[in-house]
Amino acid sequence: MSLLALFIGFGLVTSAVLAIASVGFTLQYAVTNVLNLAYGEVMTVGALTAYVINKRGGSIWIGLVAGALSAAIVSLLLNRFIFGPFARRGLKLFGMVIVTIAVSLIMSNGLLIIAGASTFSYNFDAGPTFTGLGMILTTEQVVVIVIAIVAMIAVRLLLTRTKLGRAMRATSTDESLARACGIPIRRVTDAAWLISGALCGIAGVVLGMSVTGWGVFTGQGLLITIVAAAVVGGIGQPYGAMLGALLLGIVTSLVAGYFDPAYRDISAFVILVLFLLFRPKGILADVVAQREVVA
Amino acid sequence: MSNAQQYYATLLLVYLGVDIIAALGLNLQFGVTGILNFAFIIFQAAGAYAYALTTLGAPGPGNLYGAGFQTYFWGTSLPFPLPFLVAALVGAALSLSVGAVILPRLRGDYQAMAFLVVSLIATGVATNQIGLLNGANGLSLVPKPLKAELGLTLSDYDWFYVGLTAVFCVICWWGVHRIMSSPLGRALRTVRENEQASLALGKDVRSLRMLAFAIGGGLAGLSGALLVGFISAWAPGSWVYAETFVYITAVIVGGFGSNLGVIIGVLLVPIVFGEATRFLPDVGQAGWIDAGQLIVYGVLTLVFLWFRPRGVFPERRVRYARAAAKRAPAGVATAGSTPP
Repeated sequence: MSLLALFIGFGLVTSAVLAIASVGFTLQYAVTNVLNLAYGEVMTVGALTAYVINKRGGSIWIGLVAGALSAAIVSLLLNRFIFGPFARRGLKLFGMVIVTIAVSLIMSNGLLIIAGASTFSYNFDAGPTFTGLGMILTTEQVVVIVIAIVAMIAVRLLLTRTKLGRAMRATSTDESLARACGIPIRRVTDAAWLISGALCGIAGVVLGMSVTGWGVFTGQGLLITIVAAAVVGGIGQPYGAMLGALLLGIVTSLVAGYFDPAYRDISAFVILVLFLLFRPKGILADVVAQREVVA
Repeated sequence: MSNAQQYYATLLLVYLGVDIIAALGLNLQFGVTGILNFAFIIFQAAGAYAYALTTLGAPGPGNLYGAGFQTYFWGTSLPFPLPFLVAALVGAALSLSVGAVILPRLRGDYQAMAFLVVSLIATGVATNQIGLLNGANGLSLVPKPLKAELGLTLSDYDWFYVGLTAVFCVICWWGVHRIMSSPLGRALRTVRENEQASLALGKDVRSLRMLAFAIGGGLAGLSGALLVGFISAWAPGSWVYAETFVYITAVIVGGFGSNLGVIIGVLLVPIVFGEATRFLPDVGQAGWIDAGQLIVYGVLTLVFLWFRPRGVFPERRVRYARAAAKRAPAGVATAGSTPP
């Protein structure tokens, strides 16, 4: 029992990282319809930016903001110069997935050349350890969970309370109708890439905070689990992605704890394939169909 | 030529042949039929493992190769052409089973995604289940075909192997060429171009797709066997998902759907660009050459998709009506004949 609670506690930390990342992923997919396999590398860009600032003596919080900014800018540039032009031209026979995987390979190997294959870790005060409900969490792990909750509330407010959020939802539901209503699609798309990039960068930094060491391929390694969380929740649905992240974080943590740590990622891969094959609209498909709400 | 140069030359030629066979297979699936097989490399891997297991002999004590340092779940020792045949069959059978699950259900980006994840799962399982195929260390000391029987010197044997690869290569090219220029090849193209129209013409789209997928998988399996028969070792590191991307780049650069294009693509992508990066100056970063290779492949893919999406040597547009008219003897009305 105590072991179970312990694993769930670790799982919650993973869930928190996954939630930030997969909400960003799914938000960008909803608005732009691009399945961005270079997302993991954008995450690494954020994590590395924070690392550079942290190494120069800056606090990790400044690093977090800088990581979010740099990832947002990279994400916007990728769309402006690569994904956007290809998408507008229309790749009938190949699909955007080949473009994004090419970008992913270029970026990850470029980062490898720039940053090297070493392991990085952030420098910050490890505060007291919290225990409760059988879970043992360090301060940084609790902070990661809090950041995730704040980010989720921010996304919720963005989508429901702001003009931009409504425009994004409209674009995601029906792009041509949204265009006809006078919504500036280009600007909304840019905003979606910026916001998803910022969330991606935050996820990269908190991922770096939550593990003991990370490298240039850590973001890429988590990509499929992020996609799995998005697909489990129904791709394009931010609230679904939050739920998917919660489930995947806990399931992978239980697999790693009870079975074999080497199967942590593989269990996420298997869940993704099963969902793609048998329930491609995600666990919330019926709820969404009833309410006809696409956030 | 010195021995080292000879070895490099034979190795490059064998790679060329292996890559051509594999790329022909991928082209049949991806270029001709339009299946985004991002797991292509696992079928090559399956063929390579099949070849290794059918030549290494039963595992356990008493086995010259298996005793002590490598473990695998099963093994036997078959005479010369059989391991290659088994490898092709294993590649095709694995393709059939994976294809039967994924192909009917998923299209486009999701299909690619599912294949990519299958590839990652396969690598993960093969790496972590040590008893299966010796885990991350992989299988080594895989016997070379006819090595003992021929009794050639080291470099003569390498040149013999180049010849063997060439023979397989020509057979595969001829076979794929026959398929692509037959009515079957045209039917496969209709699946790629317009599935609905193909269905409306009464084509069994599902079986056609499976057939192309299985033949492509068989070619992948054979290419894997030829590769491991020469280099004698095979491990999960040899077939990470990025390797599939190398073949996809070759097909895109060469010209998808075109066999000649594929051969040019293989010459350009893994051979010219791949080997050229080896001669880049060392900047001191470990793994810089491999990283540089993948960057070059990624850039090539983007550049070609943007500027020349049909490749260096595009698929030829055949005008069937004119060809049919030419073939029909003079005076015989073609009005009554059924359209192709």
